[in-house]
Amino acid sequence: MRAVDDLSFTVDAGRVTGFLGPNGAGKSTTLRMLLGLVRPDTGDATFEGRRYEDLPHPSGQVGAVLEEASFHPGRTGRDHLRVLATAGGHPQSRVADVLEQVDLTPAGGRRVKGYSMGMRQRLAIAAALLGDPEVLILDEPANGLDPPGIRWMRDLLRAQAAQGRAVLVSSHLLSEVSQSADDLVVMSKGVLRAKGPLSQVLGASEGGPVTRVRAADEGALSAALRAAGITAAPDPGGGLVAHGTGTAAVGEAALRGGVALTELVAVSRSLEEAFLELTGTDA
Amino acid sequence: MRALLAAELIKVRTTRTFFALAGVAIVTSLLLAGLVASLTEPTEDSVLTDVFASDTSSIFILILAIVGITGEWRHRTITSSLLAAPDRIRFLIAKTVAFAVAGAALSIAIAVAIAVLGLTILSARGLPTPGAGDLLELAARNAAVAALLGAFGVGVGALVRNQPVAIVGVFVLALIVEPLLIGLAPSVGRFGPIIALPNGIVGVGDEEDFFAAVPAVLLMLAWIGVLFAAGAALLRRRDLNS
Repeated sequence: MRAVDDLSFTVDAGRVTGFLGPNGAGKSTTLRMLLGLVRPDTGDATFEGRRYEDLPHPSGQVGAVLEEASFHPGRTGRDHLRVLATAGGHPQSRVADVLEQVDLTPAGGRRVKGYSMGMRQRLAIAAALLGDPEVLILDEPANGLDPPGIRWMRDLLRAQAAQGRAVLVSSHLLSEVSQSADDLVVMSKGVLRAKGPLSQVLGASEGGPVTRVRAADEGALSAALRAAGITAAPDPGGGLVAHGTGTAAVGEAALRGGVALTELVAVSRSLEEAFLELTGTDA
Repeated sequence: MRALLAAELIKVRTTRTFFALAGVAIVTSLLLAGLVASLTEPTEDSVLTDVFASDTSSIFILILAIVGITGEWRHRTITSSLLAAPDRIRFLIAKTVAFAVAGAALSIAIAVAIAVLGLTILSARGLPTPGAGDLLELAARNAAVAALLGAFGVGVGALVRNQPVAIVGVFVLALIVEPLLIGLAPSVGRFGPIIALPNGIVGVGDEEDFFAAVPAVLLMLAWIGVLFAAGAALLRRRDLNS
């Protein structure tokens, strides 16, 4: 059985790339291939041209949080980080730094078996940040987090990307990805379905882009659009909706018709609609 | 490699299991030594092996090593271990050396404790005591056995990932298979890695039944080498899917 087939994409520095797909799509397997934990039959996964295991300082260049975060339950959070800092050749001072960064300093001396799911997730993120890596890979990091935790995670990802890091985050939480990702890679059944900037992937729906436009004189607006060959229908919320036409063409048509606009908005499909369409899954 | 070894040693000493089993090893060793020193009257020739050879560290470090390596799978810490150190062979080497070091350290601690207790009791009773050179040699032999069985345990655990199966397996080997072989087919039994070869290294028991120290050490290293090679091949081939 092929878990992942003919998948190719790149993740850029300074951007959050959402890696989206339904359960069983092959996301986790792909991330584990990136990290050398699973060996692909053919092909390579590289970081600036080098496989993970060939990097001079792997955990200093790539930090990873995998879906099933692994800890010895009898070891304290601080000791868990001490082990990884030592093995990765990172200064021990980083342990206190990352504990502070994920708000776990007070719990650092407690054994992990007493941690909540959210605390374990924070500890896993702290481990990923130990080497101050240029690349962050996170597999379903919002799992088990409460709403404030999810918000915290989203802010963290954005902050990491803003500092120039490449962030690849897998999720099946559609709303979460749409709020934090710049780019999207969508896969289903082990196959790549779409990739590109979020707006591009969302805009690539059947029928093309959708634009909502309003004017004080909607009759004149409707006539101007018709004159430009743009089909528009009344929107139940007010104004007109033009299917298959972007904001630039609608705005230009209104200008030519001498109609003053009060609203001109590109209406994206919801990520959920795009996701269902792209992955071929049922609602 | 130094960093990996240091990380493995931190792992060893940051769980309660190590201190619990090390504590049991120290208590049982002292209990045995104390009882023999208090209740028997060893001669000058027998005092060394009667009173001071009760170091039980080897069996405990064997269990600790198996728990240490199989725990990586049981608690899925193998993933974070290999993310920090992707070279799987170096990881296994570090783990093996760490438990050898831990075994030797535990054995030396026990040897010191037994020496203090045994010498104190024997002196108080006016009984003969062994010379410092003999005590040091015995401590070195026991430390070598503990180090070798620590490494052996890692090899066992690298091959048999299931923790209970691995531990029960070595107990069956130590309590049933090896004693039977030593009794029924000593020419085969003397190659046993848990009783026969350690006895040869320490120098206790019938000389005809066991190898001398040097060949026994070499045979133990051969056992460890075979287990390590098989475990390393398995670890290299395995995909870590969870």
